Amino acid sequence: MHNSIIINHICRVEGHGGITVNIKDGKVAEVNMDIFEGPRFFEPLVVGRAYDEVAPILMRICAICSAAHTAASLMAVENAFGITVSSQTRLLRELLVHGGNIESHALHLFCLVIPDFMNYPSAIALASDHPAEVKMGLELKKLGNTIQETIGGRAIHSVNAVIGGFGKLPTKEQLLELKEQLKKGLKQSLVTVDLVSGLQVPDFCTSPNIYAALSSDGAGYSLFGDKIALSTGDTWDINMYKELCEEKVVAHSHAKHSRFNDKPFAVGALARIALNEEKLSGEAKKAKKRLGLSSHLDNMLYNNAAQAVELVYSIERSTEIIDELLTAGIKQEKPMEVKTQAGTGTGAVEAPRGTLYHNYSFDEKGRLTEADVITPTAQNLANIEKDLRVSVENLIDQPKESLAPKLEMVVRAYDPCISCAVHLVEVNFE
Amino acid sequence: MEKPTVGIYGLTGCAGDQLVILNCEDELLDIAGALDIKFFPMAMTGNDEECPLDIVFVEGSVVQPKEVEMLKKLRERAKLLIAIGTCAVWGGVQAMKNEIPRDEMKRKVYGPEGKVFDVISAQPLSNFVKVDLAISGCPIEKEQLLHAVASLLHGDLPRLPTYAVCTECKMAEYPCLLLEKGQLCMGPLTVAGCKARCPSYGQPCRGCRGPVEEANAASEAKLLKEKGFTWLDIQNRLRTFAASADSLKIESIKEGTNA
Repeated sequence: MHNSIIINHICRVEGHGGITVNIKDGKVAEVNMDIFEGPRFFEPLVVGRAYDEVAPILMRICAICSAAHTAASLMAVENAFGITVSSQTRLLRELLVHGGNIESHALHLFCLVIPDFMNYPSAIALASDHPAEVKMGLELKKLGNTIQETIGGRAIHSVNAVIGGFGKLPTKEQLLELKEQLKKGLKQSLVTVDLVSGLQVPDFCTSPNIYAALSSDGAGYSLFGDKIALSTGDTWDINMYKELCEEKVVAHSHAKHSRFNDKPFAVGALARIALNEEKLSGEAKKAKKRLGLSSHLDNMLYNNAAQAVELVYSIERSTEIIDELLTAGIKQEKPMEVKTQAGTGTGAVEAPRGTLYHNYSFDEKGRLTEADVITPTAQNLANIEKDLRVSVENLIDQPKESLAPKLEMVVRAYDPCISCAVHLVEVNFE
Repeated sequence: MEKPTVGIYGLTGCAGDQLVILNCEDELLDIAGALDIKFFPMAMTGNDEECPLDIVFVEGSVVQPKEVEMLKKLRERAKLLIAIGTCAVWGGVQAMKNEIPRDEMKRKVYGPEGKVFDVISAQPLSNFVKVDLAISGCPIEKEQLLHAVASLLHGDLPRLPTYAVCTECKMAEYPCLLLEKGQLCMGPLTVAGCKARCPSYGQPCRGCRGPVEEANAASEAKLLKEKGFTWLDIQNRLRTFAASADSLKIESIKEGTNA
C-alpha cells in the first residue's frame, strides 16, 4: 500500500530503459523492465513554488507528452482553487491535447512501429524504399505539431496555455487553415489504417489484461473524464487515483511500478478502446472494425493498431472542435482571475500512452506544498513485465538473437514515450 | 565532400531537443541525406557505439556518475561536441535545487528503499567536457538548429545571438510586460533566439533559454522588488532554468534586493 512519501514518476524511458530476463533450468526465473533514466526529482522541485510556476516546470517532465502534462497540470491547479474554465477554454485545451495525440501516434507508428514490423532499423532507412509512406507519416506528425503551435504557441512545452485560459486566442483564419490541413490529414490517417491492417501481428504476448482509462459522462469517445473506469467493472472519481495506482519502488528502476489489487494493469490507446469502444463514431469506428481490435484485446501488440484508430479519431474530433468554436465565434476571453486558497486538486488526461495524473496541494497564498505525478509509463511497467514473461515463456525455445527483438517489440508496443531502439534487451541464460 | 559522421544522444532531460530534430518534418529526410548519422539511439537501431564522429549533439544534463563516463566517451569520439538545449547548456530545471543534497531528494521521492542508484547534482556538460557550441532553449528553436546544421556542413560554427530576449521583444514592438504591466518577466536577462515567443502570447519570459552574457540580475531583482515582488518569488523565477549560471547565483541576485 501507499506510504506517505511522494513518489516521482518519470515519463520517458526511451534512451535508458532495459529488460533483464533471467532463465534458470529452462524456466523464466525473473523478468525486469529496467529504467535507468536519471531521476530529476520533479515533485520536490516544485514545492514552495507559486501556483503559476508549476505547469511551466512540470510540463518539462516529458517533451512528447508535454501537451498532456500541461493540461493535467493546469486542471489540477484550477481544481485546487475551485476555478471553472469557460467552454471555449475547454475546447481549445482539448484541441491542444489532440494535437499532441496526433503528433505522438504518428511518430510512434511511422518512426518506430512500421519500420520495426517491416524490418528496417529506422524511418530514415524505410524512406529509401518507401518514401511516400514515410513522407505521409511525417506530414501527419507535422499536423499534430501545427495544432500544438497554433493553440499552445509552441510544438513542445506550450507557452500559451495558462491557468484559467489562454494568453492569445487563435483567429478564425488560423482555425480555418487548420481545418483544411485536418481534411488532408483524415485521408492520410485512413491510408495509415490500411498500412497497419497489412502488418502481421504475432500472438506470442497474448494474455489477459486489466485495462484502465478515463471515462466521461459525454456521449463521445474522449481523452478527458472525471472518472476512472476499469475493465474489472470498478470505477472511481479521479481524485481517488491513488487507489488504482498502488505504487512500489523496485530496485531495478528509477520509476515506480503501479499495481491494482496486486495485479498489473495497462493504460494507453488499446485500454481506451477496450473501455470506450462503443463511443467511437465516424471513420474511427470503421477503422476499429477494419483492424479487428475488439477481438484482440488480450494482445498488447495491437496497441499499435489502436493508435492508428485514435489517429483517425483525434483528427475527426479536432475538426469537430474547430467547427464548434467557429459556430460559437471566438470570444476574446482573458484567462480567469485566480483567487488562491488552501486546497488540493487533481488533474487527469489521457496522454498518448495512457492516463496521466497530476495532484497538488497549495497553501492559502497559492504556494505548492505537495505534488504527485503519475505517468502512464509508470503504470504500464508492471504489465510490460507480465507480457515480457508470457513472451519469454512462449518463445523460450528460440535462440537469443530472435527472442530479443521480439521482446523489444513488446516494450515498444506500449510506446513508452519514444522507445529506445537499441540495447533494450539483456537476456541472461544461466 | 564526404558526409560528416554524426551522433545524437540524450543524457537526463525530457528528450525535447532530440524531438525538435525529429520535428523538422519538412527537412528531416534532407538532413538525413546530408549527414551520416551513426549514433541516434532514440530514433534508430544498429547504432555504432565506437566509431569516431565529426559532430555529436548532446541533450540533457548530467545527473548520474555513469553519465559522466558516457559524456567523456562521446567527447573522445567527436571532433565537435554541441550541447543542445538548456539542460545540456545550463543544467535545466532539474538543477534548480542543487543546494539540497541528492540523498535527501532521493528519500523524498523514492522513500527509504530508493538507495539503489547513484545520483549527483544536475550539471551542464561544460562542467565535465569541452563544449564547442552551445545551443540553448527549452526546447531549442528549430530555426537555430537548422542554421547550425547548415553552418556545420560548410565547416563553420553558426553565430548565435548575444543579445537579450528583451531586444527581440522591443524590435517586435510588443507591450513591455515588465515595465508596463508589472509582470515578472525574464526578458532582460535571457538570451535571444526565440523571437520573444512568450511575450508574443502576452506571457512573461520565464528564462527558458538561459542567461544572456553579462546578464545584470541584481538590477532586475531590484526593479522587481520595487514592483512589489517578494524575494522568494524573484529568486524562484530567476533560478528556474539556469540556476548554475554565475550571473543567476543567489549572491548575484541578492545584491539587487539589498540595495
